[in-house]
Amino acid sequence: MNMEIKKPNEQENTLEIKNLVIHYISDEEVVKAVNGVNIIIKAGKTLGLVGETGAGKTTTALSILNLVPEPQGKILSGEVLLEGRSVLAMSDLELEAIRGDKVAMIFQDPMTSLNPVHTVGDQIAESIEIHRKVSRQEALKQAKEMLELVGIPSERSNEYPFQFSGGMKQRVVIAIALTCNPTLLIADEPTTALDVTIQAQVLKLINELRQKYHMSMLMITHDLGIVAEVCDEVSIAYAGRIIEHGTLEDIFDHMRHPYTKGLFDALPDIGARRSELKPVKGLMPDPTNLPPGCPFHPRCDYVMEVCSQSVPENKWLSETHCVECHLYKDSNESMLKEVLL
Amino acid sequence: MSDVLLEVKDLKKYYKVPKGMLHAVDGVSFDLERGKTLGIVGESGCGKTTIGRAILRLVEPTSGSVIFDGVDILKLNKPEMRYMRRNMQLIFQDPFSSLNPRKTITQTIEEPIILANMIPDPDKRFMRVMELMDTVGLAERLVNTYPHELDGGRRQRIGIARALAMNPKFIICDEPVSALDVSIQAQILNLMKKIQREMGLTYIFITHNLAVVNHFSDDVAVMYLGRMVEKAPSETLFANPGHPYTQALLSAIPVPRIHNRPERLLLRGEITSPINPEPVCRFVNRCNYAIPICSKEEPGLIEIEPSHFVACHRVGELQKG
Amino acid sequence: MDETIAKYTTRKGFFKQYKKKSRLEEIWNRFLRNKLAVVGLVIFVFIILVAILAPLIANYDTEAIRVNVPNRLHSPSAAHIFGTDELGRDIMARIVHGARISLVVGCAAIAFALFVGGALGAIAGYSGGKIDDVIMRCMDVFLCLPDVLLALAIVAAFGTNLVNLTIAIGLAFTPKFSRLVRSAVMTVRGIEYVEAARAIGATNTRIIANHVLINCFGPIMVQVTLYVANAILTISALSFIGLGIQAPIPEWGNMLASGRVYMRDYAYIVIAPGMAIFMTILSLNLLGDGLRDALDPRLK
Repeated sequence: MNMEIKKPNEQENTLEIKNLVIHYISDEEVVKAVNGVNIIIKAGKTLGLVGETGAGKTTTALSILNLVPEPQGKILSGEVLLEGRSVLAMSDLELEAIRGDKVAMIFQDPMTSLNPVHTVGDQIAESIEIHRKVSRQEALKQAKEMLELVGIPSERSNEYPFQFSGGMKQRVVIAIALTCNPTLLIADEPTTALDVTIQAQVLKLINELRQKYHMSMLMITHDLGIVAEVCDEVSIAYAGRIIEHGTLEDIFDHMRHPYTKGLFDALPDIGARRSELKPVKGLMPDPTNLPPGCPFHPRCDYVMEVCSQSVPENKWLSETHCVECHLYKDSNESMLKEVLL
Repeated sequence: MSDVLLEVKDLKKYYKVPKGMLHAVDGVSFDLERGKTLGIVGESGCGKTTIGRAILRLVEPTSGSVIFDGVDILKLNKPEMRYMRRNMQLIFQDPFSSLNPRKTITQTIEEPIILANMIPDPDKRFMRVMELMDTVGLAERLVNTYPHELDGGRRQRIGIARALAMNPKFIICDEPVSALDVSIQAQILNLMKKIQREMGLTYIFITHNLAVVNHFSDDVAVMYLGRMVEKAPSETLFANPGHPYTQALLSAIPVPRIHNRPERLLLRGEITSPINPEPVCRFVNRCNYAIPICSKEEPGLIEIEPSHFVACHRVGELQKG
Repeated sequence: MDETIAKYTTRKGFFKQYKKKSRLEEIWNRFLRNKLAVVGLVIFVFIILVAILAPLIANYDTEAIRVNVPNRLHSPSAAHIFGTDELGRDIMARIVHGARISLVVGCAAIAFALFVGGALGAIAGYSGGKIDDVIMRCMDVFLCLPDVLLALAIVAAFGTNLVNLTIAIGLAFTPKFSRLVRSAVMTVRGIEYVEAARAIGATNTRIIANHVLINCFGPIMVQVTLYVANAILTISALSFIGLGIQAPIPEWGNMLASGRVYMRDYAYIVIAPGMAIFMTILSLNLLGDGLRDALDPRLK
């Protein structure tokens, strides 16, 4: 008898992305957007995907719903498993069933996420009608409840998007996303376009709803402050790879990768007024022309010869913390203390 | 030569809209000393962008006075104002739309020099452009490139070079790094500080990012719905914010730390309309500390400690203990 | 500054290295990369050459004008490549001379419309407010009328000579250009680099010329070529109904008109002028597209 015992972890993982490689191929050039990304989001947890422009975060997020724009975007290899099922193998019908239902996505710009010619009530109800097979009346009624849930008076369900401010529009977008109680919420820079006090309100709302619904969440952001506020685990993306991953503590208190360190150093800290900020020197690599070896090596203060020759492998420093960097290739716990910080 | 380079007195800018009068900037006053940086912070709709344009007369103020180096620039005629512009420049927020896409970066940087007729000889002018490019850290080989060939950080350096071309005394920086990645922001901010030191410039730094403003400014003014609600030296403002809005603004910033996280003061509701505002405290419907007088009378700026001004009826009671 | 001068002038070949390639060269190179546009250009240049060299190709009086009844309605042959028309005249000769009229009147009319309409549109778009309203309402009056009708009215009132025809067609297209330039100007006017130009002290005129208009070139260029095509069609239309170029002067439109009755049995009599109109308009369209792409530095 040869029973395949599923590791208890696998059943709890809402999302698993393994070795995802996505390139945008056109006649003139190949944009290597995602180059071997590994992501795990456990049930009910929030993962912060942190990176700057061009790191491949949005492309990775789109692949979860198989929405990478074709024909240029080609998923060259890798797996995307949603609660164990492969998304990339699903038929169009199956995908339509999960989009908006099991997996919901909210985008950055609330101005363009809503259709200006439909009332907000209609737009929320649309999602309910599609996935719950109820009558229009019932859907509109549930839509009003959702509005109350996100802090908007239900009388406003007959108003059009232009009558709402940016923060309120984003709440409507969140309401639409949550109507069908998704298992996974993907939030792509949801508060970047909002004022800071409104951002605080929206983040609080997202946190409350997340806890209430036991949702897993993928929070894409470049703001480490938001990560500290909302996330349980963090993955740092650079040039289409995940160069470091860990719990909040691992990343904030024990960061290992030089880029992660650079990100933290470049932040102006309200508490400590320095005379000069410490930016990361150089520029983001061109995804059509990535440097050989480790993509960060041209900008790295700790660069060694091997860095330009081979891409570092993923190394687990603890049960929760992993990093892709040649500095740690052969190290164990005791050596770590000497290397960084 | 007085220490004060810029004196703004009761500056107002109103726009006529179908529903009435929109008070974009509603009576702002401050002094700015030579060589210093004033940060103006606020969220969307507070008037910080408008006030930057109004000070430079890119929009005509409705009333008030702007005295630059002893001259009331609002009284100048068109040719005189054009001449004055050599001294007061502007760096824009969006590094793409602030550069003419059909001009090479050299032509863009050169234009102010041509307009001011500062260097008639084209070869000498070219070299001045190279000098400016060097100052802002743009490589020589980029001389004939167009803006769309460059990334945001480099484009913003072009904007800075253009602003420096006429050797101004004063530069208004309108959200100069908001559109840039975090690692590039730091590079540009360091550059701007270096230039300020080397050229003795005076800056007004407009932004919504409080962390950046603390790093960069000597004094900070907080704006809300067209009025200045607080003004103080940076350290004081961050250590001891007097106005409830400032307090909420500071606590709303997501802190990139997981230990010792500060308490969050959340504001209720949203910003009210700047059209036909009532002569009461503009912040009253969102304030957690409002008392009856706040809905009847508009608070004026009170100096609660040297150089620290707050416009609040309950000022003094609300200081952090 | 002196340091800088010293630093750079001691480097050999400094200026030569950085002397900018002429803008025109760049634009030309980009244009050449677009095959269809080059085809359009070649055809159009060919048509222009034909028009210029018309007297050398065929004698105006003997071949294009003189009636030669015994020769009438001959199919295309070695002597008459496109055949002869109902009055015995050589069709090719008439087409070649007709090209002159179409091109000259077409281009002149559009040039008129571009400058007058463009100026009005630029002023309206940049100034806004009352000036904008006044100018645009005047233009609206003209826009209400179909091109042909407007040109027709003017020609009928003032007589059918070439100058009147040119002005008539020009006026018909003026409001179209004013609209086009106005919207292009309004779009660009709000963009920050225009504000930046004001901030460095540029006068309004300079801003319009140097910053606004050069960024509007793209859409305007394409429209110019399309409208020239339209203008040529309008001339032909007017000639077709007898209010344009009068017989016996050859013009593609009046050739179509007079040849119409013979179309069934002598198809060649309308094919030639029809093809001439078609090729001209096609080449102008391709040329216009190519120009727009070539003028935009963003499309490499």
